[in-house]
Amino acid sequence: MFLAWHEMRRSKLRFGLLTGAVGLLVFLILFQQALLGGLITQFIGAVRNQSADVLVFNDQARKNIEGSIILPEQAAAVAAVEGVAVASPLGESTFTVQADGSETDAVVFGYVLGGPGAPTTLSAGRLPTADGEAVASEKDEADGFGIGDTVTVLGPGGTLDLTVVGVARDLNYSVSPTMFTSFDTFAAAKRVRNGLAEGTAVLPSVLAVQVADGADAEAVVERIAAAVGGVEPLTRQQAVDGSPGVSSVRTSFGVILGLFYLVVPLVTGLFFLIVTFQKASALTLLRAIGARARTLVVALLVQVVLVMALGSLVAFGLYAGALQGVKNLGVRVEVMPVVVTSLVVLALALVTSLVAVRRVLRIDPLDATTGAGVHL
Amino acid sequence: MSLKLPLRELRRRPTRFLVATVVLAFLSTLLLFLGGLLDGLYLGSTGAIRAQDADVIVYSSTARDSFLRSRITADVRSEVDAVDGVDAVGGLGFVLLGADVPGEADPADVAIAGYELAPKGVPEVSSLYDGQGVADRRLEDQGVGVGDTLLIGPAKTEVTVVGWVEDTAYLQQGTIWVNLATWRQVQNANRPDAAVADDVVQALVVRGSGDLAAAIDTATGGATSTLTVEEAVLALPGVEQQNSTFNQIIYSTLVVVLAVVGLFFSLLTLERLGLYGVLKAVGASSGRLFAGVVLQAVVVTIVAFVAGSALAMAAAAALPSGVPLQLEPSRFVFTFTALLVASVLGSAISLRKVLRVDPAAAIGTSS
Repeated sequence: MFLAWHEMRRSKLRFGLLTGAVGLLVFLILFQQALLGGLITQFIGAVRNQSADVLVFNDQARKNIEGSIILPEQAAAVAAVEGVAVASPLGESTFTVQADGSETDAVVFGYVLGGPGAPTTLSAGRLPTADGEAVASEKDEADGFGIGDTVTVLGPGGTLDLTVVGVARDLNYSVSPTMFTSFDTFAAAKRVRNGLAEGTAVLPSVLAVQVADGADAEAVVERIAAAVGGVEPLTRQQAVDGSPGVSSVRTSFGVILGLFYLVVPLVTGLFFLIVTFQKASALTLLRAIGARARTLVVALLVQVVLVMALGSLVAFGLYAGALQGVKNLGVRVEVMPVVVTSLVVLALALVTSLVAVRRVLRIDPLDATTGAGVHL
Repeated sequence: MSLKLPLRELRRRPTRFLVATVVLAFLSTLLLFLGGLLDGLYLGSTGAIRAQDADVIVYSSTARDSFLRSRITADVRSEVDAVDGVDAVGGLGFVLLGADVPGEADPADVAIAGYELAPKGVPEVSSLYDGQGVADRRLEDQGVGVGDTLLIGPAKTEVTVVGWVEDTAYLQQGTIWVNLATWRQVQNANRPDAAVADDVVQALVVRGSGDLAAAIDTATGGATSTLTVEEAVLALPGVEQQNSTFNQIIYSTLVVVLAVVGLFFSLLTLERLGLYGVLKAVGASSGRLFAGVVLQAVVVTIVAFVAGSALAMAAAAALPSGVPLQLEPSRFVFTFTALLVASVLGSAISLRKVLRVDPAAAIGTSS
């Protein structure tokens, strides 16, 4: 321990550079993990946290709720399928709204009150019980989407007021403030947005299906697919996983994170290997005057742990700072992911440092008598 | 000492530089991959707007610069037409839908775009009949061919592809450029709750001179929000945030490259201090010695970049087509230049050590 610490204190530049590089790499891993989690929750939180067991899309929509539309005859056919207890319309669209005195984009979901499609993560207030009431995403509470606030939908057709009566966790869609209201209110908002006459019919984006007691959602999905043409039924989880963008975002970030996880231990392993080669003569001498190989190996491993621990601390500081810049994703600074990532990276670094350990163990104290060291 | 010595060391003792080269190769792959994703997302989202051969784009003021929510009526259009400095005005409209492709099991994602003023690379609208369109080349990957009649949306509206255009995708969907009548037919049949009248478009593209944006918004009494084409590109959902987030990650990774190169060559320099003392004693200048370090850093970077590029291209080929990775030649140039700069700066960390080597110390030392 004494040896390890003193060497680090004497060689501040090289250990500082290594700690800095490790800190930056661990920070990038943490930041991207947070970004990935935040992006996915913000993109499809509303689909994940609503009550329908099955969502029925138009098969042309390619699992994109924004591009889906369900025709009346399709809705009737789905309702008649065995195992479907309730099939009610669920609408989704993006609107220009005025909230807290400023204009912003907001996604509005419209469901039949009391039916499937209601938010399931209510954290305060209540679900809407009448037209004109809405539950909003908790993350946007401070921006005019808190309980008691009035959010006004704007469009060529005039305006429409929605009163927030509840807020729910992780309810965002498409990284925008999101509200759940009655289907009729949603339809009225759409007419305002598109400047359509009062009474113009608004079609649902998807059907929200509640399966009958004892029925299996996947079996119902198969039955709907077989019985009704032109639709694509999906369980809630399938709708989340298949949502456009989610799988490609996961794959892309997976490759990037994999490369980062590869680079951190390589950099650490490389550093300690070179340092071990450089001080081979000193290590040989130490062995010759009685230092046990175990002592030298422990000193090396202590340095690896110290560098990784300091690097992780640097990473945590950068991570906490960087998350302030992506607050709109609702990402919170959490200690647990930092600890887990740091431990994984430390374990990987210890593994790659085994090459340096092997070198230390192969030092022959007799070499000190001949003046030979270990050379690269 | 000539610069042959550092090159000879690289040739004779390549294993000494192997690990640093491998680390830098992975970092090159990472940088190319991150940049490729950023380019793929940017180019695939913005092509249809970047292609506009216009000075400004006019939206309705309540649309918050979203085409899908914007509606421009004939009255507003005539007000825009009358503004001083306006030379030409054309309507524009988009609708995002699925399309059945003949012979393909899966529908293709398409953006039907109605236009009047031809964007760059798109033929004059007068050359298209109703029900005809020219398609973005990226739809070829989804089985679309010239002469195919696609069935658009739930209403299965027919549009026949009569030619290709390049780099005009919109929000990651292949655009099919049609005349405004065909766009309205597709929009109204498939989006009855967002139907548009015969004289309504989503936005106007305007060619002209002077401060068009301010003049147009004043003339329409605030009914419009007018942006330059560059501003309209950045107003697309997510484009600005994507650019800033990815660029932050890319620049942080470059700092890691700098630290890795700095670390590696400062260690190597430490090891060679005795040798440098001898070389200085026989007349080699500090500049020469330092140039040798930089030269080795550059060679290591070049080799690592070539290996990293090959790895990135292999990864791009192996990834599913849903991943919007697009490796552009300009991205390779940028990454290579950035790596070179980072490695030269990184190797400069050794400069102080090289300058401080005392030739007198060479006398009486063994190495």
